Amino acid sequence: MASIDLDKMLAKIKSTQWALSDIDWDAPGAELITEEQWPKLKDFMADLMWIEHVGARAFAAMAKKAPTDTLREIYTYFHAEEQRHANAEMALMKRWGMLEGDEIPEPNINLRLVIEWLDRYSDEMPVYVLGTVVPMLEIALDGALCTFLLETVKDPVCHQAFEKINDDESRHLGVGFSVMEMQGRGKTFIGATKMLAPLLDPRLMLGIASYVPLLNKMRDNIITMGLPEERLYAAMAKFEKIGGRTEDGRRNPWYQVIRQHAKFVVNRNNRAYHVPVDGMVKLTGLIPRRALPAVPSWVKELTYQPTA
Amino acid sequence: MTTSSASPKKAPRKVATRKRAATAKRPAATKKSALKPASVLIVGAGFAGLGMAIRLKQAGIEDFVILERANAVGGTWRDNQYPGAACDIPSNLYSYSFAPNPSWSRSFSGSQEILDYIHHLVAEFALESHIRFEKNVEDLTFDEKKGMWTATTGKGEQFAGRAAVMAQGPLSNCSFPAITGLEDFKGHKIHSARWDHDYDFSGKKVAVIGTGASGIQIIPELVKQAKHVKVFQRTPGWVMPRPDFATPQWNKKLFEKLPASQQAMRNLLYWTHESMALAVIWNSPLTRIAERVARLHLRRQVKDRWLRRQLTPDFTIGCKRVLVSNDYYPALQKDNAKLITWPIARLSEKGIRTVEGIEHQVDCIVFATGFDVSHSGTPFPVKGRKGRVLGEEWEGGAQAYKSINVSGYPNLYMTFGPNSGPGHNSALVYMESQLDYAVKGVQKILQGDLKMLDVKEAVQRKHNKAMQKRLAKTNWNSGCKSWYLTEDGFNATMYPGFATQYAAQMADFEENDYETA
Ligand SMILES: Cc1cc2nc3c(=O)[nH]c(=O)nc-3n(C[C@H](O)[C@H](O)[C@H](O)COP(=O)(O)OP(=O)(O)OC[C@H]3O[C@@H](n4cnc5c(N)ncnc54)[C@H](O)[C@@H]3O)c2cc1C
Ligand SMILES: [Fe+2]
Ligand SMILES: [Fe+2]
Repeated sequence: MASIDLDKMLAKIKSTQWALSDIDWDAPGAELITEEQWPKLKDFMADLMWIEHVGARAFAAMAKKAPTDTLREIYTYFHAEEQRHANAEMALMKRWGMLEGDEIPEPNINLRLVIEWLDRYSDEMPVYVLGTVVPMLEIALDGALCTFLLETVKDPVCHQAFEKINDDESRHLGVGFSVMEMQGRGKTFIGATKMLAPLLDPRLMLGIASYVPLLNKMRDNIITMGLPEERLYAAMAKFEKIGGRTEDGRRNPWYQVIRQHAKFVVNRNNRAYHVPVDGMVKLTGLIPRRALPAVPSWVKELTYQPTA
Repeated sequence: MTTSSASPKKAPRKVATRKRAATAKRPAATKKSALKPASVLIVGAGFAGLGMAIRLKQAGIEDFVILERANAVGGTWRDNQYPGAACDIPSNLYSYSFAPNPSWSRSFSGSQEILDYIHHLVAEFALESHIRFEKNVEDLTFDEKKGMWTATTGKGEQFAGRAAVMAQGPLSNCSFPAITGLEDFKGHKIHSARWDHDYDFSGKKVAVIGTGASGIQIIPELVKQAKHVKVFQRTPGWVMPRPDFATPQWNKKLFEKLPASQQAMRNLLYWTHESMALAVIWNSPLTRIAERVARLHLRRQVKDRWLRRQLTPDFTIGCKRVLVSNDYYPALQKDNAKLITWPIARLSEKGIRTVEGIEHQVDCIVFATGFDVSHSGTPFPVKGRKGRVLGEEWEGGAQAYKSINVSGYPNLYMTFGPNSGPGHNSALVYMESQLDYAVKGVQKILQGDLKMLDVKEAVQRKHNKAMQKRLAKTNWNSGCKSWYLTEDGFNATMYPGFATQYAAQMADFEENDYETA
């Protein structure tokens, strides 16, 4: 996979749009969800939908920061596409009777912290920080979660929706890895020390502090649902392989940081990492809801209704 | 949607109807009368064409013809009668200094009042008999032997003149944008510059596409009338507060009784706008201050952080046209309004599909998407000496001498020509210098009985080299995409300097710059 032509990619993105109304959400097949599956699937879908939404917000931040017009426009589309994924996943939940009334599923506390952080600080983060974290999350989503979901769920409408979602995701990954390589290209981009400098920024530390327990919590949720741990390893290996396929990619210091961290997350035997982080999950679980500010208004844009 | 249509039924067009009736009585231009060349042919009866006519008359030149494709005068202000349409330069400055109007009702007058002023100009200077309506010029060709320009209309009529003035307006052509599915939409479509006064918005769900100068004027009005308004924004612009107020009666009286006081007001406004150039044209400390003012305006009017983010521009102020409004932000926050920043994927039968996967269903779409601006071509073929075609020469970007003449196209004057656009001051201030320059040229042609007064190629080249060098340092060329620039980022539109500098550039008609025959 050579570096892609971003202008062509943008044209391709524009010409391959889809809408929720392209799918018949009332088509038969909902009954294929087994009673045993239902409660776990409900939690899984809620998490998935929220990651999409959080990913959307990250792209929104990148759309302000990207170095070229084309990339800014691509990220503007990706922002909307991730929102579309979240909307479509909500529509599936609605179909499966998983939405209480018309309510958006409540985000768990760790998600709330991440949302809070994204809302406050993501616009101020250098684009290469999010530019590396996002492909990592996407590959985990694409390679592990979605594949697993499709193996477990027999409902054809779910397959139809994810076929479209996955097409989008393959473009997100294509751009994501290309950009990571651009960032590793020393001459055009900034030196490694400068790129890592934000690590010392307290705002980013806050971000890490909210993101790290989220990953652990999600990993646990997924595993309860029956996802084999190997899938996560495989996804991380894929990130490592594609991200590091070229010299430029390997030279990107953020690639090195994220890669290392991803390894920690999936390896549950790494006690030095997991004991404190699991402690954080427990701790954050104690934060009373009241202590959190109201959800930002971008969260209220989610909808499962194909028309408005 | 390339020709403008003035609907005679509408109230705001009342004056236009009267004009039409008056012209209908006169015999239409026949081929025979057309062949006799006038001294000056003017294309367009907007501010520019009519202003040209007035200045020619004042210089004692009565033998001119104005060709107008519509059936009424007014150009921009005849076509832009959408609710909320108004100028965003104070009326006392957005009017001709040689024809002051003491009774502007507001500091920023509405479209109808400006149109009335234009009709008043026509009446006061008796221009009526010079105008030929429904003459859509489709070709302008110079005959070198005769020293004569011939305009050919869509119906094949021809009009000749020793000199020609292209005053067809920079923003007079519009069309629906090329959005996928445009034809699929079965609801009602309205372009801001061709308003449909018969459409009743009450109880309707409406989409507005575009948040530029027209969009932000229309939206507050529609929010008052329609059931629901969804605003589709691609890029937010900088919005400044607008010091709009009704003119007190004593003030009108004062201007009437003491014209010097109105002139003083005009001067004050002129210099206030001139100082804006420092903020708008070049990136200076004042640019930061202007951005701060706009940010404060936003912060004061919009409390929600995400909405504020959606409305915050990410380009230097001045790079695109600066907007002014007090009621746009509040309108967006009304219960029956919503700002949508998701990119548009396509139009469908019932509405607009955006990339977040949702179809926004509406009864009517209002396109406030601006105008077809040509940076590189000409609106109709213009043929000069030795069969030269201006549109071909301008393919890489339009170039002229002092914005008004082009070498190889003698005796031809352009209003709003290349690099004459104001970013910070009234277009009419610039126009006045152009009109006077053109009058000087015409006088030379008539008095010297010249067949040709043609600017020298080398002079024009030197002028443009300096121009592009100066433009490179401006905010317009600072990296944002705007209608000021060609696809390749060439700026053929704006004048990189103060209006005062522009006026100085236009003050002298240097005969040595021209070749004569
Ligand atoms: C909504 C809006 C608001 C504006 N507000 C301001 C402002 O506040 N301040 C400011 O300085 N400027 C403003 N402008 C810019 C405005 O266009 C100019 O100030 C000015 O009105 C232009 O006058 P004009 O005569 O050059 O062109 P127009 O007013 O467009 O007149 C051109 C005329 O030529 C006719 N014509 C065109 N093509 C042909 C043809 N081929 N054959 C025959 N006739 C033809 C047209 O029908 C039209 O009547 C605004 C523009 C718009 C659209
Ligand atoms: Fe996604
Ligand atoms: Fe994605």
